[in-house]
Amino acid sequence: MMTEQGRVVSKLLQGDFICQVSDEDAWRFLKSRDNAQQLEPHLNLLNRTLATTADGDVFFAAYLTLGDSERKILMQQFQETASSLVPLVEWLLLVQQASESDLPVTMGNAIRLNELQSTIEDTPAYAEQLEKISRYRLFGSTSVNLDGQLKQVFKRLTDLGYLLKPNPEKQIYLATGKVEHLYEMIRFIDETESLSLSEQAEAAIQQGSLL
Amino acid sequence: MSQVLIQAGTKLLNALGRHSELIMQAYVNGTVNERDHSPKVLEQLVQLGVLWRPDPQSELRLKGAVRTLLEGSLQDERNRTINANIGAALASLKTLAEHYKEALHYGRYSESAAHMSDLTEHVYQLAESLSNSVRVMFSRINNEFGYVSSVEAKIRENELAQGQVTELLYQLECFRFDELSEIAGSNRELRHLLVVSLQQSFSRAAQELSVAQARLLDLLGRFREFQGRTRLLKGYLLHMEQQPDFVPGNYPNLTNVPVLFNQAAGMLSPAAVDVNNVSQEAELQEIVASLTHVHRRKQQTEESSSSQDIDVSEQDTVSLESDPLQQAVDDYFCDVIDTGQPQSALTYYAARAMEFDPEVWIYQVIGNYQSLDDADKQFFALDPHGQEDAVFNGNFYINDITLGLR
Repeated sequence: MMTEQGRVVSKLLQGDFICQVSDEDAWRFLKSRDNAQQLEPHLNLLNRTLATTADGDVFFAAYLTLGDSERKILMQQFQETASSLVPLVEWLLLVQQASESDLPVTMGNAIRLNELQSTIEDTPAYAEQLEKISRYRLFGSTSVNLDGQLKQVFKRLTDLGYLLKPNPEKQIYLATGKVEHLYEMIRFIDETESLSLSEQAEAAIQQGSLL
Repeated sequence: MSQVLIQAGTKLLNALGRHSELIMQAYVNGTVNERDHSPKVLEQLVQLGVLWRPDPQSELRLKGAVRTLLEGSLQDERNRTINANIGAALASLKTLAEHYKEALHYGRYSESAAHMSDLTEHVYQLAESLSNSVRVMFSRINNEFGYVSSVEAKIRENELAQGQVTELLYQLECFRFDELSEIAGSNRELRHLLVVSLQQSFSRAAQELSVAQARLLDLLGRFREFQGRTRLLKGYLLHMEQQPDFVPGNYPNLTNVPVLFNQAAGMLSPAAVDVNNVSQEAELQEIVASLTHVHRRKQQTEESSSSQDIDVSEQDTVSLESDPLQQAVDDYFCDVIDTGQPQSALTYYAARAMEFDPEVWIYQVIGNYQSLDDADKQFFALDPHGQEDAVFNGNFYINDITLGLR
């Protein structure tokens, strides 16, 4: 039997993101400062350290010191992330627009695949958008029908850790803390590169150019 | 007088009941479709003050009082107006209290009782309107302005609600309990109404409003967050559309890698089996038992078959010595073929003076015959000699067999 501490450490070492949605017990465990401090030596031993994003609500393991090999891994990771940003952002916007409330997807949001599918089926513009999204290398769908495309996209997102399917019988997905991490990354890029994305979007909305 | 009033009221309520469908339609749609109803009914409702026509050209609408009644009773979330006119209500309370005190002073008791009931009505009305306003506010907060869809509209609704809360709180400042208590003086009933009852509703409303205000600010923050995120996403797509070759800087290459991009790779692999661990023996056995393909052989790789010297010297001959019994039976079969005469197995056995057990001998003969393939079997005929069991049918004891050629 592994202790809770052991379980959390191994989850972190596997490269998982721990948030309230993906693993509430582990999340609660890490939320306690004492527990987090107890973990730290174990992680440090393996050149890892506990890192958080999204205002301390999402935990993951980061490298403690960066040597050449670590940098290589991070660069490769970053390249993948950078290339998957556009598909992910397009998907987030599609889900947001197709959902009735028009609220952005955030951690803990439930996405009902059946509802989403019927909305997309009824709206040709969304269907086109979905087709475009599913063809990205990140999702890699070759399906010609909408059902297959949607399923493939959701399956890939679940594999990547952005979504969680709490009940295998039901087509309901929950957004995990990794989605928050994605927002943070875009925000970071926005600030670092001084893109002023919000201003661009606002100007476009005012000019009536609808995305 | 009062009889006439009661009759008129009953008539109004009956009319409301009779035409409930029309009224509810008007409530939901805002206007009455005049073609669907008889002009007489509409005329009657107009006269009773249920419907009215704002302009000669416009359609008939519900009167505000009826609408307020329905909104209040149905707890409809569309009800957004909040009665914030507390100052006026307080002024009328003060006036009524003065009337009451004057009547009491001059001993006009019946008049004073009428003033008192009026005053009570006013006080309770004020308390009700306060609690009603707070309830309306909370119902809107609780469903997070669900009656409008876009985040922008929610933000506007939130701002409206905040304005109303501020106004209400401002109006609540009109309560001056020192003045009220002075007016009430030593009169017990007045004191109860003006000070105790009003104070209770005042403090409840003030408390709930402050909670509402905090919740509204909280919600506004969340809506702004949503708005910010949507803009961020849309802005990013716009940017990528305008500059498709945009690549973010290589952050992992910086001296201080931002923690967002410092995500350690997964390193844990499954552990291996320790077959020497006795305590796990039972589990391991179970696992092995549940395996379906234990004998899957890995494909031989080319590398393992390196060139070898081949020994071409002659192999030692291996002589296979067959079983003597088998040989004897074979001889017996050959003998039958050679002589061409049927021969009993036991006779042959006796003639050759063999040393096997006769039963074994007979079994071996039968076995040899059965093991011949169909084509060979056709040449021989096997004829068992024996008798049926005395008691149980279907049992046949073989004493001897005769083998012959067909």
